[in-house]
Amino acid sequence: MARDIRYAVIGNSAAGINACEAIRGLDKEGDIAVFSDEHYPAYSRPMISYLVAGKADAKKMLYRSRSFYKSHGIELRSGTRVAKVSAKRHSLTTQTGETLTWDNLLLATGSTPFIPPIPGLDDIDYLTFISWADAKRLSSLLRGNPRVLIVGAGLIGMKAAEALAEGLAQVTVVEKMDRILPLALDDEASRMVSDRFGKAGVKLTNGTSVTSLEAEGSGKTGDGKARAGRATLEDGSTIDFDLLIMAVGVRPRLELATSAGLETNRGILADDYLRTSHRDIFAAGDVAEAPDVVFGEPRVNALWPNAALQGKYAGLNMAGAETPCPGSTSMNSVEFLGLPVLSAGLVNPPDGGYEVISRRDNEGYYRKAVLRDNIIVGMITAGQVDRAGILTSLIQERANVRRFKSALLEESFSHIYFPKAVREGRIFEEKVGTDAARR
Amino acid sequence: MRSTVSNGADFARTRVFKKMIRIYPREDVCIGCRLCEIHCIVQHSKSRNIIKAFKSERRPRKRVEVEEEGHVSFALQCRHCEEAPCVTACLSGAMSKDPKTGAVNNDPERCIGCWTCILVCPYGAIHRVEDGHVAGKCDLCPDREVPACVANCPNEALVMEEV
Ligand SMILES: Cc1cc2nc3c(=O)[nH]c(=O)nc-3n(C[C@H](O)[C@H](O)[C@H](O)COP(=O)(O)OP(=O)(O)OC[C@H]3O[C@@H](n4cnc5c(N)ncnc54)[C@H](O)[C@@H]3O)c2cc1C
Ligand code: SF4
Ligand code: SF4
Repeated sequence: MARDIRYAVIGNSAAGINACEAIRGLDKEGDIAVFSDEHYPAYSRPMISYLVAGKADAKKMLYRSRSFYKSHGIELRSGTRVAKVSAKRHSLTTQTGETLTWDNLLLATGSTPFIPPIPGLDDIDYLTFISWADAKRLSSLLRGNPRVLIVGAGLIGMKAAEALAEGLAQVTVVEKMDRILPLALDDEASRMVSDRFGKAGVKLTNGTSVTSLEAEGSGKTGDGKARAGRATLEDGSTIDFDLLIMAVGVRPRLELATSAGLETNRGILADDYLRTSHRDIFAAGDVAEAPDVVFGEPRVNALWPNAALQGKYAGLNMAGAETPCPGSTSMNSVEFLGLPVLSAGLVNPPDGGYEVISRRDNEGYYRKAVLRDNIIVGMITAGQVDRAGILTSLIQERANVRRFKSALLEESFSHIYFPKAVREGRIFEEKVGTDAARR
Repeated sequence: MRSTVSNGADFARTRVFKKMIRIYPREDVCIGCRLCEIHCIVQHSKSRNIIKAFKSERRPRKRVEVEEEGHVSFALQCRHCEEAPCVTACLSGAMSKDPKTGAVNNDPERCIGCWTCILVCPYGAIHRVEDGHVAGKCDLCPDREVPACVANCPNEALVMEEV
């Protein structure tokens, strides 16, 4: 019996869109339906901070052109939450009760904010910062230079802080770890970024957490909660705020995978082909726990480039290509207040067994490389970043860098430092990155 | 009928000369004179006049780079990769691959300067341009029959191949 949809995609973002493009590259006919509980065409989620800061408008937010869905023959069902997936029946059910059957399904459901149980939080009408709708809401509440408290100094918290720092609010960030961006950066790079934030007037409170919250009586919102309040920290000190943004982290959005009985760990377990424990269901992006190049085991790498890459390979394989994904890599590129910082792979190695080389000069250039038995496994570059991608590719290749180790830290490090054969392989045969590692 | 385009191509700048070309360096004959860099700058300047480009206008960044160490030198620019990592990784959709010419282009109107493309380019071929606000790279000189670097190399150390 013919099913309703050839390719069903849940999630209309980095992973979902790249999957659609890959499917269409191979199958011009099979119908594709994309489900999204958001009300927008695909947009760049990392750009919501630019939207709040006024550096991007609605048009710039769009990830693809207006004609994208039409030109690719995709039916977009926005504002439609999928409530349930049945693996056995090859079906999905929307929140309005409509049931549709599919041949292949992609779960590209992304992340959901993690909200820790802090006493008093329930009385506060706090904000999260992960969607266009969140950005709109934040913008609408920014009258009169409010005091904003951001809990969590990861990527999302610091992006929010940056957006607000430039004249929109008085910002304080509280972070449990002893530095900002604890996962993406090391001490030195984190300190460089902290300096910028300090100069921009953002107050950073590291190494402590919010132990309780108290709503302020006045200014109650519709449901009886208050936006303003007071946070108490571990040492008993307090911070008064007009708005509270919770940004301690995100978690894979697993509910559909669970309802379908798929194998999950932190994320939905997916193999090299982005296939889950059910052969016709694929997972990609923030929700997937799939092989990582550096760590050699499945990991959730909740970052845009990984979501796009995994989406692409999930799409290829849904359309029957049987092509393994090169694998994801933990990597971050951020520019905070004019300071670009790039990192990839393992940047904070555990004690023992690793060699760390680094270089810092007064002009604001910093580079660090992490090696294990002369194999490069991680890097950070700040300030002058233009050629840092070469290091990322060496990390993905698991390259032995013994012969040019001393040059790795140079800002000018490039192909001239490679042995001739390696250089020629890269330039003439595109043997680079994971492609080189695979061959 | 369904028409299909690959990755965001409706945004991309199109080549006037719709051929698929690639540029390759020949290090055995490169003399390290950097004329390719100079002519790349001229080509991407406002006036396309060498004197004005270097003397009076805002000088664009070169998109080809001569690497030199001892007696070895060669010029390298974007490889316009088949499976371009920068296109897949781009956060905004500004980076796209032209399905007709295979050229990988960045739309400066859409680029937000997040440098994710720099982080994933295995050749170090993307630069921060326009005072560090957007990403810039080799565009294969879309309105020239032969790219400026290739045309102006005195010793044929850059060759263009049709693919
Ligand atoms: C403020 C911010 C800044 C960021 N900055 C960066 C950055 O600089 N660099 C970087 O690499 N990454 C960044 N990220 C992370 C990046 O945005 C994510 O990794 C990326 O969006 C993941 O894409 P995805 O397709 O997996 O999922 P998502 O983008 O999370 O999209 C999933 C979609 O699925 C929808 N969905 C989920 N469940 C259902 C359902 N049951 N029914 C219907 N629809 C459903 C969701 O509503 C959502 O629209 C940032 C994130 C945020 C929030
Ligand atoms: S910019 Fe780099 S990754 Fe992109 S096509 Fe050119 S060489 Fe390849
Ligand atoms: S810097 Fe521009 S082109 Fe590069 S990834 Fe970011 S938005 Fe895309």
